[in-house]
Amino acid sequence: MMSASHSSMVNPMSSNPYGLKEGEVSTGTTILAMPFDGGVMLGADTRTSMGSYATSRSTDKITFLSDHIFCLRSGSAADTQAISDIVKHYLSHLTIETGREPLVKTAAHLMKNIVYSNKDSLSAGVIIAGWDPVEGGQVFNVVQGGSCLKQSFALGGSGSLFIYGLMDSEFKEGMTQDEARALVKKAISHAMARDGSSGGMVRTMTVTAEGNKRDVTPGNELPFGPVF
Amino acid sequence: MASSGSGYDLSAATFSPDGRIFQVEYAGKAVENAGTVIGIHAKDGVVLGVAKPLYHKMIVPTTASYKRIHTVDVHAGVATTGFLPDARVLVGRAQEEAADWQEHYGSKVPPHVLADRLGHYVHYFTLHGALRPFGASCVLGGYDVDTKECGLYMLEPNGAAYKYYGVATGKGKQVAKTELEKLNLHKQDAESSMDVATAVKNVAKILILLHKENKDSDGKPMELELSWICEASKWKHAPIPKDVLTAAKEWANEQLEEEDEDDEEEEEAMEEG
Amino acid sequence: MWGMNHHHRSSAPADPKSHTTRPIVTGASVLGVKYNGGVMLAADTLLSYGSMAKTMNASRLMEIDQTLIGASGEYSDFQAIQEMLEAKSLQMQSGLLQEREGDEPPMTARSMWNYLRVVMYHRRNKMNPLWNSVVVAGKDGATGEFFLGNVDRLGTTVEDNIMATGFGAYMGVPLLREKWRPDMDEGEARALLEDCMKVLYYRDCRAASRIQLAKVSADGVLISEPYELETSWAGSTDYIPLNTPLALP
Repeated sequence: MMSASHSSMVNPMSSNPYGLKEGEVSTGTTILAMPFDGGVMLGADTRTSMGSYATSRSTDKITFLSDHIFCLRSGSAADTQAISDIVKHYLSHLTIETGREPLVKTAAHLMKNIVYSNKDSLSAGVIIAGWDPVEGGQVFNVVQGGSCLKQSFALGGSGSLFIYGLMDSEFKEGMTQDEARALVKKAISHAMARDGSSGGMVRTMTVTAEGNKRDVTPGNELPFGPVF
Repeated sequence: MASSGSGYDLSAATFSPDGRIFQVEYAGKAVENAGTVIGIHAKDGVVLGVAKPLYHKMIVPTTASYKRIHTVDVHAGVATTGFLPDARVLVGRAQEEAADWQEHYGSKVPPHVLADRLGHYVHYFTLHGALRPFGASCVLGGYDVDTKECGLYMLEPNGAAYKYYGVATGKGKQVAKTELEKLNLHKQDAESSMDVATAVKNVAKILILLHKENKDSDGKPMELELSWICEASKWKHAPIPKDVLTAAKEWANEQLEEEDEDDEEEEEAMEEG
Repeated sequence: MWGMNHHHRSSAPADPKSHTTRPIVTGASVLGVKYNGGVMLAADTLLSYGSMAKTMNASRLMEIDQTLIGASGEYSDFQAIQEMLEAKSLQMQSGLLQEREGDEPPMTARSMWNYLRVVMYHRRNKMNPLWNSVVVAGKDGATGEFFLGNVDRLGTTVEDNIMATGFGAYMGVPLLREKWRPDMDEGEARALLEDCMKVLYYRDCRAASRIQLAKVSADGVLISEPYELETSWAGSTDYIPLNTPLALP
């Protein structure tokens, strides 16, 4: 199904020479990142879909960039995988050349450079979150089009629209790690309940100076279930 | 071919039988014949200084093409010596590297990376028969925005880029190095570590001393060009303010006179004794 | 084969690479006035993603070498302009043959405005415009007088005593024209800009009440921290549509 729709679309003579968007595997998603006292918390649902078919129900959307920096991807799965691979490569090169850990803002800048200079052919909205020794836990949002926004918390993906209000009212600066994880899980569960393109489980990643911690909450143990 | 070395000095692409690359060594000679550069890494900043001999009475010392300390980026500067046109190519390269880094990573290039990259660049010119090594050397001072630390490096014509507590190159490097060692810059304990204000005075003093001791330059005018990176310059590379420089020169001259008098007294005492 | 290709070609003729056709993350109006002793800009701190308020604390005013730049339109393009001007400024400051005295900036407002015109016009000629309307405020290097100008995404330049981009060009300009005087002091300029920003907050759906002011004066450049406009809803709170029964009988 995918190959059929693609081959008809990849036509350099057409007005859409890269065969983007329609029928493309996308991470119709809910992603969320927020700093807390001592680090940063990332969270995402695990659904990957093609139209209304869930291609995967256990995707890991929390993508490694460097030891204390991760990104959350939304938009075209192919595009965002490719560009986060490039940023990961740049950061490992940078670590070798400077002999120290890269900064979160550097990762965001690299991501922005790629998204901005290819804005006409990419479909990507990426959240970069991590910890560095200079500025601590930080969150950047590289939006479709290539704007790079430092935010007190960042939301992304189709499901984010349903939880902006929740986050605006519940987010506070300087939360504890446990409070942050609970809020992230709660918010993503709410988004998954209302957004058809988000679903599955909730994965979180806790990034601190001491190290990173993964956590997964299965779909039947979410803090908020579907509304009946 | 009289000695084992002769005939091997025509190209940087060929080693002599005893493992030397003469062209690169000759490039070093070009530096040894040129004006002195001094750099000091103080506990709270870096200071760069050059002495500019005024070869001709009619030279205007402030002319831009006779500038020998250049700003590479907000947080880094280089003091140059050797063939100045060669040095300016290096400065241009340093500025490009800093600008490229800023564009690529969105941050200031760390000084040690800048020094390393310049080292690679200079070294490249020692590998090819078709290229002439740089007849210039430069002392790089920089501030690392992330670690909040300063760094001082010297680039040699062979491509080496070592980090220093205090460094001198150019004509007066031997005397200058001896003077720098007396300052105990390498002893990083609180008592002997030097602040930038003292470093400025000492750079001026050493440069003036060298000028006075040099028979060729005796009586000829000389211009001091000094820059620093410290809290007073908001951690930016900037020329040392005129009043600070004037005060440093006065202090240096007084010190040198005192030392002269002491020497004379000693001599007299010796004669009397 | 050729027949097929030909068919494609005739249905989709020359198909040049497409570029930005719309802004994505946008900022609303920027306003500016000259006053007696300086020039002042105002902009809100909201960035919109379509109709959604994406972030409420983004600065759209920047200082570069004692010149103020304010931009409405696509924020990523504004960030690119910011980086471009910073690189340009550094290049000019540390240029090998530069010989400058003291704190004299390498580029003054008028030259930066002209430089932006060249860049914006060049980009529009490549059918790939920077999707902004940029206000430039500062000093004219040649005359030493205060300068206020605008460059749009096509490279069109305007110079005036008052300036407004975006919705401000419709709803700010009439107010600015009515109230502006060449001898107004800093306080009056500030009050006028705040009045206009308030009207824009009331009537521009992409504007916000959180704003920044910035000025260039003899004392140099100052950009305020974001602050909240005091709005008024008097006369609106007790509004009741006609024919609405106030209470059930």
